[in-house]
Amino acid sequence: MMTDARPIVTMRGICKRFGGVAALTDVDLDAYSGEVLAVVGDNGAGKSTLIKILTGVYQPTSGTMEMDGRPFEMNSHSDAIARGIDAVYQTLALADHLDAAANVFLGNELTRRIAGVTLLDNQRMRSEAERVLFERIGVRLPDMNAATESLSGGQRQAIAIARAVYHTDLRVLVMDEPTAALGPQETERTLNLIATLKAQGLAIILISHSLDDVFAISDRVLVMRRGRRAGVVNTAESTRQDVLGLIVGGNDAW
Amino acid sequence: MPGNRERMNPTTAPVASDLKTRLDPYMAIIGPLAMIVMILAFMAVMEPARYFRLSNLNIILLEAALYLPMAMAMTFVITQRGIDLSIGSIAALSGIIMAFLIKQFGFPAWIGVLCAISIGAGLGLVNGLVITKFRVPDLIGTLAMDLVYRGFALVLAKGLVLARFPDLITNIGRGRLDWFLPIPVTIGLLTMLAGYVLLRRTHFGRYSIAIGSNPEAAEMTGIAVERHRIYAYVLMGAMAGLAGVMLTGKLNAIQATSAPYFNLHVIAAVVVGGTSLFGGRASLIGSFAGVLLLSMMINALVTLRIEFFWQSVASGVVIIASVTLYTWLQRKDRDGARSLLAAARTPENRRLLRLSAAIVGAVTLLLALGWLLAGAPNPSG
Repeated sequence: MMTDARPIVTMRGICKRFGGVAALTDVDLDAYSGEVLAVVGDNGAGKSTLIKILTGVYQPTSGTMEMDGRPFEMNSHSDAIARGIDAVYQTLALADHLDAAANVFLGNELTRRIAGVTLLDNQRMRSEAERVLFERIGVRLPDMNAATESLSGGQRQAIAIARAVYHTDLRVLVMDEPTAALGPQETERTLNLIATLKAQGLAIILISHSLDDVFAISDRVLVMRRGRRAGVVNTAESTRQDVLGLIVGGNDAW
Repeated sequence: MPGNRERMNPTTAPVASDLKTRLDPYMAIIGPLAMIVMILAFMAVMEPARYFRLSNLNIILLEAALYLPMAMAMTFVITQRGIDLSIGSIAALSGIIMAFLIKQFGFPAWIGVLCAISIGAGLGLVNGLVITKFRVPDLIGTLAMDLVYRGFALVLAKGLVLARFPDLITNIGRGRLDWFLPIPVTIGLLTMLAGYVLLRRTHFGRYSIAIGSNPEAAEMTGIAVERHRIYAYVLMGAMAGLAGVMLTGKLNAIQATSAPYFNLHVIAAVVVGGTSLFGGRASLIGSFAGVLLLSMMINALVTLRIEFFWQSVASGVVIIASVTLYTWLQRKDRDGARSLLAAARTPENRRLLRLSAAIVGAVTLLLALGWLLAGAPNPSG
């Protein structure tokens, strides 16, 4: 499955302490281009802390991160975006009274200058949003003028993803529980969408509680338990029992 | 179950939401327009001769013009989930400072006007800083600053009425362009137009909606939430300062107690126009219609020779009625609402009914008791 032998991003020996509490201890992670890495684990196992370090929201207490073999540090989420790492949150972070184009470009609007005054270029944002939604994600909205509150869960998620993939230098996309709020049909569509993005060469990191989704779409599974890496398995070579065993800690062979 | 219908039945949902999305942009204008038509119809029956006169139309427009700039700015403030209760005092204080600069210190009138607007903007900046930096909630922050600004106005002017201003000021307040609308109406329409460009074509307008719609999302996407909230209060202050100038010019006089009802009136106009107090939903054309509606309503009360004090009752009732209406329209499961009688039978509402009955009963009983025990009246005046 790995199209590229070298990972885009590696994390080695990541530790994170909050006061006296060790949230993460000695965690390693590799993200490869064109691969879906699922991160699973019980509540409080350290999934979201790990992801927040990867997306620059938290800084690790110790440990190193490398991109293309070169070490780097990040101080904020915008540092991560500048390096091509972005996340789609479970809440989607959409302003639901605005239309799709306004949400795709929220905080990063396209403008043009008319007589020295900078104005929003709504027309170009609309056509660009329509293009990104269709070409990268394969979604065509019935009405680009509609406020996103009137769209379905899947369509709203497509808009949140379009916001991330509009940056052409995006290389690592973190998806936090993308199917948690969706019905079966929409879940199916979202999984197809993840496959599409993977085929475009992105490294996808999928956080999920649903082992169905994990086994349907991922290439490897990283299991977290009590702030440590309980194991990494190739999805094709393992069963749900293996992964469940790692999550609850019964199978300590790994 | 009715709330789930949209999701459960995919074949009918798109049609229903299509109709809703197609109607949605016009909702803001339909509400006030319907009420305007109702007022027109009512007045056509009651007092057609005095209400439908050109001179009366002029009075209505002049009244409306005073509120248009403030309604424009208030639309942004409310869209961001804010509120500004200090605009009456800002208008009075800016107007009084302008009056002193012109009359006491002999400033040129045009500098006085620009000073009033800039001072208004400065007072708005103070509001914005109090709210964002000291983290005082909008309601309390601007209510307290209202006292502060009104206090300064009283300290400066004492009980004085400053009157007789240069032509520039009276022209701004009540002048007329030879070939066009009165000057204040023109100013009001221009600020509305500027507001429309701000809302649709600038970062400030886009972010105002985003902040009101989903503050966390706005923060996450890197929008400078605090700065854009301060911008809204600065714009509000500047427009209140402009209103202070227009009011001074309209009356050719200003005093510390001027403009007492600006807050209520402007907020009522904006809310009647469909801008949601819960944020994210802005309608400038609705605010325009709302201002027009309130001016027509107050003019109608005057024409019918109803006491001035009823204006406050009418404005309050209009606010409650329109917010109730818009909240009801936003509800997803209103098809499932049962009859009023059935709703009154739920245990929770029965308790409320008993409480209401107890209070009404107590008041009635006390009035009856007082009536029985009453001695000779002793008038205070």
